[in-house]
Amino acid sequence: MSVEGRKKALRELFAPTVDRLGYKFTPNDEDADFLLEQLANIEAETGVPYCPCQARSKDRAADMRMVCPCIPFHRKHYDAMRRCWCGLFVHKDVTDPDSLRQIPEGRVK
Amino acid sequence: MKKVTIYALSTCLWCRKTKKYFEEKKIPFEAVDYDKQDEEKQKAMTAEMKAAGFNCSFPFVRIDGECTQGFDPAEFDRMLDGK
Amino acid sequence: MDEAIEAAELEKLPENRPHAVFPLGLPVLLVRRGAEVYALENRCAHMGCPLSGGTLDGNTLTCPCHDWRFDIRDGKFLDAPEIGLKVYHAEIRGGKVFVRI
Repeated sequence: MSVEGRKKALRELFAPTVDRLGYKFTPNDEDADFLLEQLANIEAETGVPYCPCQARSKDRAADMRMVCPCIPFHRKHYDAMRRCWCGLFVHKDVTDPDSLRQIPEGRVK
Repeated sequence: MKKVTIYALSTCLWCRKTKKYFEEKKIPFEAVDYDKQDEEKQKAMTAEMKAAGFNCSFPFVRIDGECTQGFDPAEFDRMLDGK
Repeated sequence: MDEAIEAAELEKLPENRPHAVFPLGLPVLLVRRGAEVYALENRCAHMGCPLSGGTLDGNTLTCPCHDWRFDIRDGKFLDAPEIGLKVYHAEIRGGKVFVRI
């Protein structure tokens, strides 16, 4: 499958899941396109669409917590940022994702 | 001039935005793409990030002795000003 | 709709192990516990992997692809209850398992 085709497929696959979690794709189309492209490339290389902004380890349990969409495994952290770490998903009410801050997990109260 | 180091992933959007931010401010920095390093270097980078109190999410930014994680211009400016 | 479709013979179902069947062509997963049978959608809520290749520990079924975990009793995803698998009503009649699709 072409990268473009896979990007579209991943978007369709993840949309209903993140919707139930209270999230949507970022309205910044350029960012969404870039991130989906990274996911498609990472998946083509490793077989798994890992988060493009988190480092993989040799520990399967840890790595499975960063497979997109990884929101369920980082709920408190992402809810505090109103966005997932890589920024592909934002809370449904977010209209200006560039106004959001990335907060390190350890600094989330 | 403070020494700025950015640990990044080549696939990470916020790492790109972070590098661009320092470029536009004309602040020199050293950038290291974690995913382009060998295993030994990756281990050293992971250890450094953990020692600073962070997990393995990117970007990781060190400005002199102070570290942060994520793209946060306000925090970068604060660290650069040393306040 | 909601018709009871014959899905398997009870005695041929392995005990406590996920088993794939295809009533009306649909991917369904059966788990037999003695005289009781659980029936769920055999398609992970994450990326659609068949869950019949996963592992069952107590009531927790773990997807073989990316380790998403579900409770076989109600289909709920353990890390976010908003997400889950379809659960079908299963009944045993005359040594056969029927699933309401």
